[in-house]
Amino acid sequence: MRVKVISIPVQDQQKALDFYTGKLGFIKKHDVPLSGNDRWLTVVAKEEPDGAEILLEPSPNHLEAASTYQKALFNAGIPYTQFDVDNVEEEYQRLTGLGVAFSVKPTEMGTVKIAVLDDTCGNHIQLVEML
Amino acid sequence: MTFYQQEINRIRSTVYSNDAHLIAVIRTRRFINDNFEKELNLEQLAQAGLTSKFHLLRLFKKYYGQTPKQYLTHKRIVQSIACLKGGMTVTDTCFSVGFECPSSFSTLFKQKTGLPPAEFQKKQFSQSVLTPI
Repeated sequence: MRVKVISIPVQDQQKALDFYTGKLGFIKKHDVPLSGNDRWLTVVAKEEPDGAEILLEPSPNHLEAASTYQKALFNAGIPYTQFDVDNVEEEYQRLTGLGVAFSVKPTEMGTVKIAVLDDTCGNHIQLVEML
Repeated sequence: MTFYQQEINRIRSTVYSNDAHLIAVIRTRRFINDNFEKELNLEQLAQAGLTSKFHLLRLFKKYYGQTPKQYLTHKRIVQSIACLKGGMTVTDTCFSVGFECPSSFSTLFKQKTGLPPAEFQKKQFSQSVLTPI
């Protein structure tokens, strides 16, 4: 058993692809047309092209419960998931320079430093640097 | 302030309120990161963290969930994966990341990754050959 794909719910797949590749720096791995405008759309980290894929999943558009859950998390400021970075402060400076909004600025919390950004597709995403 | 921000503040004040402890374990972890390829013992780590050996053991486990020795092994295995992917031989990888014995390196590597180093490297190579351009 292996971890191959994890999903992040997004309200607009094309907008999500633009954000996750253009701003966060992931690269597109798979883009397969499904029914309607839906796609099997995954991205991977540049440093780990054979690592786990992130599925940008349009579930909030098809299931009310998914949409409700996503909105509840977002309104509470809770990150949907988190990504490891080498330096939170540098990523914060780089991403704010690209216009990315942060709900939590770089903050030390014990043995980690964290920051939380808005992915513009309905989610907060946490960046983590182990200190 | 969002619920999550409140939770961050609550956890910081309850779990991470002892700055001296945090400084000790963070200094120790950085020392391991900077010196993992050398022979390290608990006494050296305690000196780096400016604390006593047994206090450091307890603190490191408390804040990182593993002992300094376990973290050192993890760090060496992660580094060895990069070396093997880069084409370094198993024996050279073993010594370059700080292990002293190729057989114990192979055993540990298999425990952590599921494959012995030679098989891991072979699999990496076959995957890169099979991956379409």
